[in-house]
Amino acid sequence: MTCALKLRKFIVNLLKNMINRFFFGIAAFGLLLTSCASNQNKNISRLSLIQKRDELICGVSGKIPGFSFIERDGSYKGLDVDICKAFAAAIIGDSEKVQFRPLTAAERFLAIKTGDIDLLSRNTTLTLSRDSFGGNGLTFAPVVFHDGQGLMVKKNSGIESIQELANKSICVGSGTTTEQNINDTFESLSLPYTPIKYQDLNQVVAGYLQGRCQAMTSDRSQLAAARSGFKNSKDHIILDDVLSKEPLAPASDGSEQKLADAMRWTVFALIAAEEQGITQSNIADKVQLATNNPQLKSLRRFLGVDGGLGEKIGLSNNFVVNVIKATGNYGEIYDRNLGRDSDVPIPRGLNEIYSKGGLHISPPFN
Amino acid sequence: MNNINPNLNTNSFQKLKKFLLSKSKYNFCNFIFFVILISLIFNLLTWIFINSNWKVVTSNLNLYAFGSFPIDQQWRPTLWFFSLLSITFITVYGPKWNWLRKNLIFGWIGTVPLGIYLLNGGLGLNPVMTRHWGGLTLTILITSCSILFSLPIGILLALCRRSSIFLIQKLCSFYIDVMRAVPLIAVLFFGQLLIPLFLPVGLEIDRVWRAIIAFTFFVSAYIAEDIRGGLQSIPNNQIEAAKSLGLNKYQINIFILIPQALRVALPAITNHLIGLFQNTSLMSILGLMELLGVSRSILANPEYIGQYIEVYIWLASVYWLFCTIMAFVSKKLEQKMTINKGY
Amino acid sequence: MSKNKKKFFQILLVFAFLGFLGILINNLIINLARTGLGFNFNWLTKPASFSLAEHPLPYSPSDSYAWALFIGWMNSLKVIISSLVLATCIGTLIGFLRVGKNSFFSIITAGYITVIRQTPLLIQLMCWYFVGFLNMRNNSFLSISNIFNISNKGIELFGLNLSPEFSALLFGLSIFSSAFIAEVIRGGIQSVPLGQWEAFRSLGISEKQGFFKIIIPQALPAFIPGLTSQYLNLAKNSTLAIAIGYSDIYAINDTIINQTGRAVECFIILLCSFLILNLLITKVMGIIDKSIMKSGI
Repeated sequence: MTCALKLRKFIVNLLKNMINRFFFGIAAFGLLLTSCASNQNKNISRLSLIQKRDELICGVSGKIPGFSFIERDGSYKGLDVDICKAFAAAIIGDSEKVQFRPLTAAERFLAIKTGDIDLLSRNTTLTLSRDSFGGNGLTFAPVVFHDGQGLMVKKNSGIESIQELANKSICVGSGTTTEQNINDTFESLSLPYTPIKYQDLNQVVAGYLQGRCQAMTSDRSQLAAARSGFKNSKDHIILDDVLSKEPLAPASDGSEQKLADAMRWTVFALIAAEEQGITQSNIADKVQLATNNPQLKSLRRFLGVDGGLGEKIGLSNNFVVNVIKATGNYGEIYDRNLGRDSDVPIPRGLNEIYSKGGLHISPPFN
Repeated sequence: MNNINPNLNTNSFQKLKKFLLSKSKYNFCNFIFFVILISLIFNLLTWIFINSNWKVVTSNLNLYAFGSFPIDQQWRPTLWFFSLLSITFITVYGPKWNWLRKNLIFGWIGTVPLGIYLLNGGLGLNPVMTRHWGGLTLTILITSCSILFSLPIGILLALCRRSSIFLIQKLCSFYIDVMRAVPLIAVLFFGQLLIPLFLPVGLEIDRVWRAIIAFTFFVSAYIAEDIRGGLQSIPNNQIEAAKSLGLNKYQINIFILIPQALRVALPAITNHLIGLFQNTSLMSILGLMELLGVSRSILANPEYIGQYIEVYIWLASVYWLFCTIMAFVSKKLEQKMTINKGY
Repeated sequence: MSKNKKKFFQILLVFAFLGFLGILINNLIINLARTGLGFNFNWLTKPASFSLAEHPLPYSPSDSYAWALFIGWMNSLKVIISSLVLATCIGTLIGFLRVGKNSFFSIITAGYITVIRQTPLLIQLMCWYFVGFLNMRNNSFLSISNIFNISNKGIELFGLNLSPEFSALLFGLSIFSSAFIAEVIRGGIQSVPLGQWEAFRSLGISEKQGFFKIIIPQALPAFIPGLTSQYLNLAKNSTLAIAIGYSDIYAINDTIINQTGRAVECFIILLCSFLILNLLITKVMGIIDKSIMKSGI
C-alpha cells in the first residue's frame, strides 16, 4: 500500500469517526461552554481584568479631526486618544498599551455593555439617560471637553439666525445627541426642517460642502475643526446660537465602580496637574522636590510619595507621575491637539481651568 | 437589435475588426456612442491627471496597504502578498507537472495559516495585535480565511441537506434558507455586536475573528446551495456504480460526488467568493479598519478634508483590480479542470 | 444505517441541538441581566423623537418607534420596487446588446458588466451619491423642460421630486443589479438551442420577429430562477442605504439601537422584516413563473 493511500484511508477513517461523534462533540462543546460560564468568577473587576490583560481596550471614533483620527504612520492622534493613553498610563503604567477600537456612534454603548471595550473615549455627551441605571447604564468620568452644539452655514447664504433655517435641509450625524438636540430645538421653535443623516462627520461635511443642505450641525468644536480643513474657511460661519450643552466625557460600564473611580481620578489628576503647574517636562523635578521636602504634604500626596492614595482606587501610588510623564497635564493635551499651533485651532474658552475662568476644576487629592 | 448572433465565441479582437469593417446601417449609431465614450474617457483622464490632487492617496499608500501595522514589520504582510501572488502565478502559468498540480491545493490552503502567522507573529516573530491589522492586508485576510472556512462548511451543509436523516436535513435547510434571506450587513452586525451576548461571561473572541465568523456563516450558506446544484447534476447511476464497487457512503461522498459537484459549481462559487471580497467593504460601516474603513479614517485627517472623490476612485480601482484577478484565476482554473477531465 | 440506529441518532441530535440552543439562550439571558439590557418590546410604543427626511406616510418625531420602523419599511420597499423595475429594464437591454450581432455594443456591454460586477456596491453607491449627485452643484445636469431634471437636488420627474439620496440609491442598486441581470438574460438566451434560430430563419421569419416571438418565449423560463435570486440580492443590498443617508429599515434600526440600546430586539425585527420580504419576492416570482408555464410553450 502506498503512502498516499494510507493517508487517504486514515483521513476517511478520521472523517467517519468525526461524523459519528460529531453530535457527542457538540454536546461536549456545550458542556464546556456551560462549565466556562459557571466557573467564571463574575466578580472579577474590569480594572483587574485590564491589568491582567496588560492592555486597555479603548473605544474611539477614529473619524473626528482633533479628537481622534489616524495619522500617516497608522497611529491614532487626538484629544480623545490622549485621554485613553492617560488611562493606560494610570491603570497599566504604560501609555502605549492601549488598543484603539474605532466605533460608530450606534455601536458604542453596546460595545461597552457587552464588554467588547473597556471604556469609551469617543466624544460622548454626558446625559442623564446614558448615565443612569435605567437608561444606558454607564458611568461617566469627569468632563474632558465642554462643548455646545452649533450650526454652520455658508456666508453667502445670508442666514444669520436659527429662525432663517426654517424649511431648509440640515446635515446631521445619525445616532448622536446632535440628532436629538436639533430635533428638540426646531420642534420647540415649531420650525419645520429636513434632516439629512449621515454616518460620520466626513460625510456630513461632504454633504454640506456639496450643497445638499443649507446648514450642518454638530458640536461647535467639530464644526471649527471641520472648517479649518476647508479650502475657503472664511466663507463659512458658525451661528451664535448654541443649541445645547455638550459636556463630552469618557464613559465605562456602570457596574464597574473600580474602573470608574480610576478613570475619574485620572482625569482629575490631569486637571490638578495643570492647576499646580506640573508638566511633562518638570515632573521629574517635582518628584525630586517632593521626595526631598517632607513638608510639601499635598504635593507628596498628589505624586504618591506618601499617603497611598493610588492604592485606594486600585492603582499604583505614583499613577499621577506615570500619567503626566506619558501625556502631560490637561493643558498640554489640549494644546497639542486643539491648541493654536495644531491643525484644528479651537480657543479654550470654557475649557480653561477654573482659575482662568474656565470650567475645569479638580477636587482635592486627599 | 435584430441581428442576433448566437455564436459568442469570437474573441473581442475579431469583433473589433468586424465592427470596423462592417457596413451595417448601425454604424452611425455606433459612431455616436463611440464619440460619447471617447469624450467621457477624455474627461475622466483630464480630471485624473490635471484637476485632481492625488496626495491623499500617494502619501498614505502604506496605510491603504497595511493599516497601522508597525513600519519595521511591514515586510511580513508584503511577504505574504508575494507568496499569494506567486502561488496565483504558478496556478495559472506554472508547469504542468502532475505532482505540482496535485499538491497546489495544499499550497493554497497553506497561504492562510502562513498569513495568520506572518501577521500575528509569535514563534520567532514579534507578536502584532489584531488592532494593528488593517487596510488591504486585513481585507485579504478576512477574505481568504472566510473562503477557507466556508468551503468545507458549505460542502458539509450541502451533504446534510441531502441527508436521509430527517432532522439533519430540516435543520440544514432552515439554516441555509434563513442565511440566504437576511442581508449581509445584518449578519455582520450580529457578528460584531451580538455574538458577545451569546458567549459565556469572560470569553472574548477577537473582533477580526468575529468578522470572519460572520462572513463564514453567510457565505457557506450560498456555497452550500451552489454545491447542492452541482450534486443534483450528477446522475444517480454513478452512486449505484460506486456502491457496486464496494465503496461505502463516505467514500462515495468524498471520492465520487464532491469532486464532481465542485467542478460543476466552481463558476458559481467563485462568483460568490468575488462577492465576498467586495463585501468586506461593509465592515467599514461597522468600524473595522479594512481598506474602506482605513480610507474613511484618513479622510478625517484635517489635511485631507473633502478629498473623498480621489479616495473613492482609487478604492474602486483597487477593488476592481483584485476582483478581476480573482475572476481571471477562476476562469483559468475552470479551463484546466475541463482539460483534466480525462475522458 | 439500521432503523433503530437512525432513530437513536435523531433523538440524540434533538437533545444535542436543544442543549446547544439552551446554552446559547442561557448565556444570552445571563448577559442581558448582567448588562441590564433586558428583553421586551414595550419600547415600541414610546415616541421615537427623531425626525426623518423621507416618509411616504405622515410621520413626526412624536410618533412611536413602531411607526418609525414601519416608515423605514415603506422606504425600503419604495427603493426596492423602483430599482427592481429599473434594473430589469437596464439589465434586459444590456443583456440583449450583449448577445446582439453589433460587435461594438457587445464589447461595450461586456466592459460595462465587468466594471460594474468587479467593484463593491458600497463604493459604487458612495460614488453615485457624493461624486455623482452631490457634485452637480446647483446647475442641472440633464433637464428636459419641466418634465425631467437631474440636479444635485435629486431627480424631478413630472413634478415628482426624488431626493438625491433616493436617486443615488436607485441608480446605484439598479446599475449594480443590471450587470447581473444582463448575465442572467444572456445565459437564458444562450440556453435556447441554436437549431431554433436556424429553424425560424429558414422559415423566412425576420430576425426581429423571430427573436421576440420565438427565442424569448423559450428563454423566459430560464430567466426566472436567475432573476429571482438577483431580485432577492437587490432587496438585501438595499440595506447599504445607511452609507449614503437614506432612511431605510436598517438605518432606522441602527438609530433606534443607538437611542434605546435594544440591539437584540431590533435585530429580531430586522430579521423578520427581511424574511417577510424574501417570502414576498419568492411568492410573486413563483406566480409569474406559473403564469409563464401556463400561457406557454
